[in-house]
Amino acid sequence: MIDLKELTQAVGELDEEKVTEMLTEFVSSKPTEEEAQKVVNACQQGMGIVGDLFEKGEYFVGDLIFAGELLTEAINILKPVIGGQSASKVGTIVLGTVHGDLHDIGKNIFRSMAEAAGFVVHDLGIDQPVENFVEKVREVKPEIVGMSGVLTLAIESMKDTIEGLKKAGLRDGVKIIIGGNPVTKEACEYVGADAFTTNAAEGVKICQGWVK
Amino acid sequence: MTDVKALQQERIGIYHDIFDNKIPKRVPVDIRLTFEVIAQLGDLNLLETQWNPALIEEAVDKACQILYSDICPFIGSFRYPSFYQLLKSQSFQMASNGFIQHPEVIGMLPEDYDYLIENPYDCLLERIIPRQYKAFNPNDPINMAISFTKSLLAFNNDMQQAGAIIGKMVEKHGYYPGGLLAGGFTEAPFDFLADQLRSFKGISMDIRRMPEKVKEACDALYPLVLKRGMPATISNYATVFIPLHMAPFMREKDFATLWWPSFKRLVDEYASMGIHCTLFCEQDWTRYLDYLYDLPTDTVLWFEYGDPKVIKEKLGKKHIITGLYPVMNLKTKSKEECVAEAKRYVDILAPGGKYIFGFDKDPLLLSDINLENLCAVAETVRDYAVYSNPGETAGMVFNKNDYKAEPSRKIESKYYKTWEEYKALNPEVSDFGAPKLQGLEEAIFNYIMYLLM
Repeated sequence: MIDLKELTQAVGELDEEKVTEMLTEFVSSKPTEEEAQKVVNACQQGMGIVGDLFEKGEYFVGDLIFAGELLTEAINILKPVIGGQSASKVGTIVLGTVHGDLHDIGKNIFRSMAEAAGFVVHDLGIDQPVENFVEKVREVKPEIVGMSGVLTLAIESMKDTIEGLKKAGLRDGVKIIIGGNPVTKEACEYVGADAFTTNAAEGVKICQGWVK
Repeated sequence: MTDVKALQQERIGIYHDIFDNKIPKRVPVDIRLTFEVIAQLGDLNLLETQWNPALIEEAVDKACQILYSDICPFIGSFRYPSFYQLLKSQSFQMASNGFIQHPEVIGMLPEDYDYLIENPYDCLLERIIPRQYKAFNPNDPINMAISFTKSLLAFNNDMQQAGAIIGKMVEKHGYYPGGLLAGGFTEAPFDFLADQLRSFKGISMDIRRMPEKVKEACDALYPLVLKRGMPATISNYATVFIPLHMAPFMREKDFATLWWPSFKRLVDEYASMGIHCTLFCEQDWTRYLDYLYDLPTDTVLWFEYGDPKVIKEKLGKKHIITGLYPVMNLKTKSKEECVAEAKRYVDILAPGGKYIFGFDKDPLLLSDINLENLCAVAETVRDYAVYSNPGETAGMVFNKNDYKAEPSRKIESKYYKTWEEYKALNPEVSDFGAPKLQGLEEAIFNYIMYLLM
């Protein structure tokens, strides 16, 4: 049987070779779906370690990107044994880069980490007009809306987007977090968001706090 | 002498003092507005103006009249749509707001490393540019030649139009005729590899999966980025501008082995020729201040983040510090707060010289700033940041003989020829053609490299 603690540790250390080897061996042992689900959870806990190391300043953005890729690979290896049921979801997030901005590296890191933490994430993509946020929020009724942007101009677009949600009567039903290089406490107040972060791991923790 | 000429002489004096290791009369005020901000200031259609840069002249003049700066606040744009459109660029695209940006796209695959290391310039032309520029399509050679030619003509046209406006404003308003783009422009070898070749995600994988190849690729690209950055004429005052990108997103051990060595070598080699560099330290470089200290004396360090006190204390005697003042303040704080903040930065960074006032980053759109606050900050620095001891020696003194260039490999490619190589293949060509033909060879080289920066 696979050593779950060792697996969590290997994911946390971003030891790609070891993770791949352990999972490949696990899959070939024809595990039950329940066993497979435990292994998925162990990988997700490994991502939690990655997030902690990032907050401590031992890992950096490049490491988070690598971690996201490692988790995707891990899930791909496990696919044949996970079965149809997915892990229990902790909440839903509508996510996108606001209009005028084409950057998505930070958004994608946040998405990987939020998914690893059990959120269902609807990622709209880059340069998203206000109405796309509004429509998606209306459709999927998320607990949280995440807006991302790298350029300073994104602040104005975030404000527009939040105004759009207000006009549509959807603002009070969601928590809004903004993320990316230009966001600050002042910017957060200016646009009317509930929280801000320049740190994806912290962002996920804020979201977890909201759905407890 | 007219007032404008006298003002220009004063400005030349304060900038030259900085590079001559002297305390200037006052702190130079370096304020730049992007093409987009100025177009908006003139109430121009951003799209139309980007296609016809000459249209921006009146708006530039207006900006020059209302805003104080010692350099021309207009530096044109790096990214006009014409030449990117003609080559069907994947790596520079226009967003819905008309603002051209660089999305995350991959120009080089992991399996291309060996060829890049063996033959870097050939690899750029044969594999990477065709992936990033779909009209640079070797399978359609005649259209490729036409598209490339049109693109280069468009590039020259747009750059000349903007350059002519800058020239006029420098004369009319008596600006310091130097500034950010007066010397050269290039990238650190690692950043060149990361940004448009492997992508942010790709390089983050490679750092862990194939660090040796990353290192070899940086060494292979070294002579290309060195050559790309060379100023047309060497002077103590015209710097090579190098925006730095990936380092803050890496672990120190990866930075120390993969990012830093080829970059340090680059800045040292320029210094050995008497050339200074202006480095835009994008994001937070606090972890790396000791490395920055090791760079040649009088390197201009433009910081986006960091504690000004720590930076001044660690680097202020050796290097020229600029940046740091958060441009977002201009939007989120009151005029009084903005002005007080400007004085605070000056009080920390100006003593002892080697300081040029500037923002942490250039505002991208007019809505990013409150213009009144911007003007108030610029005028405050002009009037407040005055030295009582001009002419005294400022910190450490630069000497180019302190730096050595390591031997590097020659650029060998079937797509680039020195005059000697060209002459050997075409012995009948008159030597009178040498400057012209070599000049064109360099122009193509510079444009090819520009497309990947």
